[in-house]
Amino acid sequence: MAKLMLDVRQLTTKYITRTGEDVYSVDHVSLTIEEGKSLGIAGESGCGKSTLALSLMGYYFPPLHYTSGDIIVDGKNITGMDPDTIRKTVLGSDVAYIPQAAMNALNPTRKVGKFIEDVIHAHELPMDKKQIREMAEQRFALLGLPVDALDKHSVELSGGMRQRVVIAVSTILNPKVLIADEPSSALDVTSQKMVIKMMKDMMAKGLVKSMIFITHELPLLYNVTDDIMVMYAGQIVERGTAKEMVFDPIHPYSRGLMRSILVPEEGTRDVKLTAIPGTPPNLKHPPQGCRFAERCRYATEACKFNQMPLLDIGGGRFYRCGHSVEHLREVYEGED
Amino acid sequence: MTKGMRKYFKKKIFWFIITFIAAVVLNFILPRLMPGDPVNSIVGKNISPGATPEQVQEQITYYKHQFGLDKNIFGQFWDFVKNAFNGTFGVSYSQYPRLVSDIIGSSIWWTVALQLPAILVGWLLGNLLGALAAYKRSFYDKALMPLTLFFSAIPAFGASVILLVIFAVTLGWAPVNGAFDPGMIPGFNWKFISSVIAHYQLPFWSIVLISIGGQAVGMRSMSIYELNADYVKYARFLGIKDKKIVRYVFRNAMLPQVTGLAMSIGSMVGGALVAETIFSYPGLGMSMYAAINSSDYPVISACTLIITIMVLIASFLLDIIYAFIDPRVKAAQFD
Amino acid sequence: MKNTLKNVFHSPRFLVGFIIFMCILLTVLIYPYFVHRDPLQGLGKGFLAPGTYVSVYDTNNTGTYRVELPEANDNRLESSVPVKDRQTMLDYLKAKGTDISGLDTSNERFHELIEVWKANYDEADAKKNKYEGFATQAKRNELRRLNNRLSSDVSATMTVTKGEGESATTETISTSNYVKVDEVANAVTLPLGTDNFGRDTLTELVKATGISLLVGLLAGSIATFIGLAVGLLAGYVGGVVDDVLMFIANIFTVIPGFVLLILIYSALGAESRSITTCAVIIGITSWVWTARSVRSQVISLRNRDHVNLSKLSGHSLVRIVVTDILPYIMSYVVMAFILQVSSGILAEAQLSMLSLGPNPNELPTLGLMMNWAKLFGAYTSSNAWWAYFPVILVIALISFSLNLMNTGLDQVFNPTLRD
Repeated sequence: MAKLMLDVRQLTTKYITRTGEDVYSVDHVSLTIEEGKSLGIAGESGCGKSTLALSLMGYYFPPLHYTSGDIIVDGKNITGMDPDTIRKTVLGSDVAYIPQAAMNALNPTRKVGKFIEDVIHAHELPMDKKQIREMAEQRFALLGLPVDALDKHSVELSGGMRQRVVIAVSTILNPKVLIADEPSSALDVTSQKMVIKMMKDMMAKGLVKSMIFITHELPLLYNVTDDIMVMYAGQIVERGTAKEMVFDPIHPYSRGLMRSILVPEEGTRDVKLTAIPGTPPNLKHPPQGCRFAERCRYATEACKFNQMPLLDIGGGRFYRCGHSVEHLREVYEGED
Repeated sequence: MTKGMRKYFKKKIFWFIITFIAAVVLNFILPRLMPGDPVNSIVGKNISPGATPEQVQEQITYYKHQFGLDKNIFGQFWDFVKNAFNGTFGVSYSQYPRLVSDIIGSSIWWTVALQLPAILVGWLLGNLLGALAAYKRSFYDKALMPLTLFFSAIPAFGASVILLVIFAVTLGWAPVNGAFDPGMIPGFNWKFISSVIAHYQLPFWSIVLISIGGQAVGMRSMSIYELNADYVKYARFLGIKDKKIVRYVFRNAMLPQVTGLAMSIGSMVGGALVAETIFSYPGLGMSMYAAINSSDYPVISACTLIITIMVLIASFLLDIIYAFIDPRVKAAQFD
Repeated sequence: MKNTLKNVFHSPRFLVGFIIFMCILLTVLIYPYFVHRDPLQGLGKGFLAPGTYVSVYDTNNTGTYRVELPEANDNRLESSVPVKDRQTMLDYLKAKGTDISGLDTSNERFHELIEVWKANYDEADAKKNKYEGFATQAKRNELRRLNNRLSSDVSATMTVTKGEGESATTETISTSNYVKVDEVANAVTLPLGTDNFGRDTLTELVKATGISLLVGLLAGSIATFIGLAVGLLAGYVGGVVDDVLMFIANIFTVIPGFVLLILIYSALGAESRSITTCAVIIGITSWVWTARSVRSQVISLRNRDHVNLSKLSGHSLVRIVVTDILPYIMSYVVMAFILQVSSGILAEAQLSMLSLGPNPNELPTLGLMMNWAKLFGAYTSSNAWWAYFPVILVIALISFSLNLMNTGLDQVFNPTLRD
């Protein structure tokens, strides 16, 4: 087995609202990623996937708070480290982040090159201005970005260029884990393709050792990541390889998610669009049993009251449902 | 200079000229639109009680001629513009035949020397406080917010009066009025300069206080807005130090405050002029106050014109500076 | 609508501001029912410090009963019948030919003097005989007035009897120069003293607060109305109308409003500056900001679906503006109005401080009170804090309450600022 780059065990984090209520938006999440692999995380908005992305860095500030669990990056447990050590030794270098709104991620009044300097200085690396500049130029050239972008403010760059610059800046320290939160959602199709190509490229060149790619468009992940994980109401509901998840989803929610979006991919073309009715539960008061039961067309009375564990069915496949795999497959077949 | 830049400057200068002309015209026309004849009141004040109606009429004609009020409106306007450009601003009514420039000449410099540094310091301090209030938000919101809201509600002249009473009248730390000891002859010696500095303190700090309030409130909400901006979150997760991020935020929030200053400088100067009269500081405010009390319209109009032009120039310069230092505007305006 | 109001009143800031403002308003409305004094009536001369003041003439005469205090009487006599008058009495007695040996103007002999006077003075007699030096009507009137002043019983002393029968002792109270304050008829309590004109500062302040609020409300309404009209017109109609209106607005943004006010006010002259005129002029010089913001909001609303739908349905411009645009900008307009009220009050005060306030002979305003305090040296030579500090406090409280209401509304209507 290859080396584990990221090993998350039973991670739980919560938001504390203004009124002082706890909202557990990441609830006992465990996941692993091997070196050279990528994992996609999918779910509706509000399912906790963005919070998971923020929680994985081990660096919390209000209203997000750490509750329990471990995050082990390349053998190093980063939970419980003091925030300044995390800032200096983990952020950017071990775990890097590409934010959801990458369009506005760059400080509008700081030139890109200067910002890269700030990043290097923040990690107290022994490099002077000239070396940093050389390094940045090389990296931009390697990623096919224009070097003169380093002397520009973000407002002077086009949307797609801004996004790619952000990706280049995020990965400047060759992180072990790159967490990309919807990096392509605000872009036009061409820019989207370029961004995704760039990310795959970075994996291939070994600039990034592993990657988490978060999106609400599950089918998009098929082309990008090795594995896919689906989240619902702060919990993992299913995990498998990209192919399995797209063509053979087990959990009713994964299946609904898969079918709610029409993407011109082979095999999905003829599937009819069935959006999932209803909205995710309010996590201030999570349901007692299966969190999806309220919206699930296959739910029984028992589903609403029994706690659902995450079941390991081998081959890196997990799912969280009261029904057996065989039962679900049978039901699905009857429908198609 | 790029094409966009030239276009931007052309636009700005065009607007400056238009506003300038409008200011001059308004300054001329507004008093003349109002009922009441200043000459009548001057004659009424100066003439002996036993004068015959013919003598009164003669006096009125005399003064009207002296002040050029017997010309038609365009002739008067021409005189007005001419006097404004040669810097004399015509003849004073109450201290006839002194030139207006004689009366207000030195007061301009006292006003500039007092208000320019005070407004700038107030702006800077206000922004610092506002940024601090945004950064230490939970503490500030709980402990200081109501207090600041109350103190910022104290009107400018009220703050000046309170400062005057506490520091000059009660504690005697500072002189009560004037710009220097009345017994002194202005000159470049230490004694005179130290007197000027002592007299400078209270008016200076009152105007600083006046300018702090509005700026701090604006800066606070601007900083809160910036603190929630995406780039802050991103920089944090790249491991950049909080101190550095605060500097980003401060800079980004402060740059628009330059235009904030350009927009509020007019009302700030208004408060500052009133503060001058409270401390009897011999600036334009005081000259204007004296002129108002003696119905000396040429002096009042000269003061308002000078103030308007100073405000116009200040906001014009600030706009230009802002466009250069803020890349966000630069990108929006120059291409 | 009901829900919005509920939300607004649930905002603690708005509520506190609203309560303070209402307290001020209620005081202004109710106070005149308790104190009937004319706010511009002078009670004394110059600045009197806060306290209870008693007229020195009839300290002891009350409606219900009389307290006689010998020493107080002496003091009273001394002040009510000064030596000059006693000399007049002596002169009269002498002119009449009475024996005045042993009499003088001292306090000790005063009782004797009065006795002799009472025995000898008679109004009719004085009129008939025309004694030397008192032959004129004026002189005789003076005597009559003097006699009236003396006619109150001045000889009794206050005694207190303790016990009964044989053991009873009688004490004469000699040291009591005191009288219970609320039994004094002509006493006046001035919680804030008087101003330079000797006016009761509190009564004046309450009246001035009312007038200043009125100025603020009128100026604010006018500014908001013009701003709203211009903004709606420029934003909704657009085109040339927009260009022209914004051209004007741009000019007035840069030219400081108070400069215009100074120009207009100084040309008007104090007599023609009534309260209403002042408020109206403040109103018509401060609409620019409202107009600009309303315009930008209207532009963003102009092409919304519901507005387009109304246009397609052929609704009139007025109807579209009233039903499809106004409701969306109402919260903003209310907030702008609150700020305008506050800045209107401030503008009046600032102008008054430059002696450009409303006609000072009509009614007091907060600004006029500040200006009087300045002109008469309340904060320098007289050190009369009561003449200016309460005024500053009231202005601050009014702006404070209005600002609180405004931020409260802002939090309710712009939730992004909440967190």
